[in-house]
Amino acid sequence: MSAIIEANGLGRWYGEVVGLGDLSVNIEPGITGLVGPNGAGKSTFMKVMVGELRPHRGTISVLGHKPFASRALYKRLGFCPQQDALYEHQTGLAFVRDLLRLGGQSKKQATRDAEAAMERVGLTEAMNRRVSDYSKGMRQRTRLAQSIAHSPDLIIADEPLTGLDPIARRQIIELFQELSAEGKSVILSSHVLHEVEHLTETIVLIHRGRLLAQGSVREVRQLISRHPSRVRVTARDPRKLAARLFDQPHVRAVALGPDGESVQIETDNVAEFHVTFAAVAKEAAAGVRSLSSDDASLEAVFDYLVG
Amino acid sequence: MIRTTGSLIATPRAAFLIYRMHIGMILGSRRSLAAIGLAAIPPLLAFLAANFAPDNQTENSIFLKLGTFVLIQFVVPMLSVAMGVGVIADEAESRTITFPFTRPIPRMSLFLGRWLAALTAITVLVAASCVLTALLVQVKDRGQPPTNEIVQSFLQAALLGGVVYSLGSAVVGVLLKRGLIFALGYVFAIEALLANVPGSSQSLTVQYHLRSMFIDKEAGIWKFLEEAELIKFLTPEEAVSKLAVATAVLLVVGCVLVSRKQFVLAA
Repeated sequence: MSAIIEANGLGRWYGEVVGLGDLSVNIEPGITGLVGPNGAGKSTFMKVMVGELRPHRGTISVLGHKPFASRALYKRLGFCPQQDALYEHQTGLAFVRDLLRLGGQSKKQATRDAEAAMERVGLTEAMNRRVSDYSKGMRQRTRLAQSIAHSPDLIIADEPLTGLDPIARRQIIELFQELSAEGKSVILSSHVLHEVEHLTETIVLIHRGRLLAQGSVREVRQLISRHPSRVRVTARDPRKLAARLFDQPHVRAVALGPDGESVQIETDNVAEFHVTFAAVAKEAAAGVRSLSSDDASLEAVFDYLVG
Repeated sequence: MIRTTGSLIATPRAAFLIYRMHIGMILGSRRSLAAIGLAAIPPLLAFLAANFAPDNQTENSIFLKLGTFVLIQFVVPMLSVAMGVGVIADEAESRTITFPFTRPIPRMSLFLGRWLAALTAITVLVAASCVLTALLVQVKDRGQPPTNEIVQSFLQAALLGGVVYSLGSAVVGVLLKRGLIFALGYVFAIEALLANVPGSSQSLTVQYHLRSMFIDKEAGIWKFLEEAELIKFLTPEEAVSKLAVATAVLLVVGCVLVSRKQFVLAA
C-alpha cells in the first residue's frame, strides 16, 4: 500500500517558535489519528499538508502532489480547519454550495451535493439558517460538511470533534467510519487519545514538532511505557523507602536525593510503577509526602496518553 | 504552459463566483455603512454651501471646490483605502481564507473577485456622491451651474481614483498586517504633502494625475500654479494612460503576491 502522505525532514518555524522540527512520517490510507498535546505541531503539520504553509525545510507529498497551491490536489482533498471561521452572511447551505461551485460544479449539482453533505453532518433542518445564528457545534459540522461535500479521496480534519456535544460527536465518528468504508482516507487531529481510539487503531504521535511514535495505539502506549522516566518521592525516611524500591519490577535505579529527604527513581514503565508504588510505600511506612516527575516532558506525554 | 493556460481559463469563472459570494457581504457590512456616511459628505456640504456660501460663489465654483478638495482629495482616497485594504486582509484576519485557498482555483481569482466586489461598492458610492453634489449645489439659484462636461470630468477622475487607490490598498493589505494604517498614512501624509507642494514631486502622486483630468475645467489654484510654471499638468489623456498603466502593474503585483504568499497569523 503506498503512502498518501510522505513527509521527510519537515521543518517550519513561526519566527523563533518551532512549529515543526525535522518531522519525517509516512501515512498510509485509512483513518489516521494525529495525536499530541496542545502546541505539539499538529495544526502546523496539517497546514503544511493542505498547502496553506510551505515547509521551511524538508519535503512533503500528499496524494503524490506538492501541496502548496496545488489545484490538482485540491480536487481530491477536503480540509476541515480548526478555527471557527465561516462566511457569516451566508446560510450553511449557501456556504457549502458556493465552495463546491469553486470546485467547478454547476449550481444545480453543487446545491444537490451541498444538501447531501449537510444531511450527512446532521444539519438538514438548519441548513437554510445563517451561519451567524449557528451554535459552536453546528459551525463545526458546517466546516466538516464543506470538507466532504465534493467527495474527496482524502479528508484532513483539524480537531473535528472539539466543541461537539456527545450525540454530535458520535454522529461525526460514525461519519468518519462511513467515509473510511467508502474507501476515503481520513487524517484527524486530536489532543485527546481517547477520542481517536474510538475511530482508529492507527495513530501518529507528535510532540514538539517531531514524530514521537507511530503505529497502533497499543504499540504507542508500549513505546511510551518503555521509555525510562524519572520520579522524585519525598518522604520522612527516604532510606527505608529506597531499600524497599530496589527490588521492585520496572525500577531501574534508585538514588537518595541531595537534600536527604527525597528518593530519585528511574523506571522503565511509569504506569506500572505508579500502580505498585502505593503498596510499597504503605509497606515501607516511610512517611511519603509527595511524588512528582522529574521528567516533565515525558510526564506530559504520559499524562496525556493515559488521561 | 498548459498550467498557465488552465489558470487563465479558470480565473475569470472563479473570480466571478467569488465576486458573487462577497458582493452581498461587502454591501451589507458595517464598513459599507461608514463608507456611505463618507460618500454623503460632499452632497451634504454642497447643500449647505448652496444655502449659506457668500453670494459671489456660483454653483459651478462651489462644485469645483467641493469636487477638488473634498471629493477627489479626501472622500475618494479614504473610501478606496477603507474598502480596498481589506480585500485579502479581511479574509486572512478572519481566517476564512483557508476555504477558497483549499479549492481547485487559481489563488489570484480570490484577489480579483474580492477587489471587483469592493470596486463595485466604491464606484456606486463615488458616482452617487459626485452626481448628488452636482445636483445639490443647484438647490438655490446662484447662477452658472456646473456643466455636464465638468461633472463628467470629475466623475471620471473620481472613479479612476477609486480604481487606483483601492487596488494599491489591496496590494498593501496583502503585503502588510497593518495595511490600513500604512495606506492611510501614505495617502493622507506622504501623498498629501507631495501633491500639495509645488514642484515636480507632484507628478509622483495619484492626485496629480487625477487633477490633470479636470484641470482644464478648473480655473483655480492649480491653473494659477501652472501659469506660474511651478508645475506642469498632463493632458487628461496622458493622465488616464499613466493611471491605466499603474492599475495594470498593481493588478499583476497583487495577483502574483496572492499566488505566492502564505497567510500565517500565528503558530
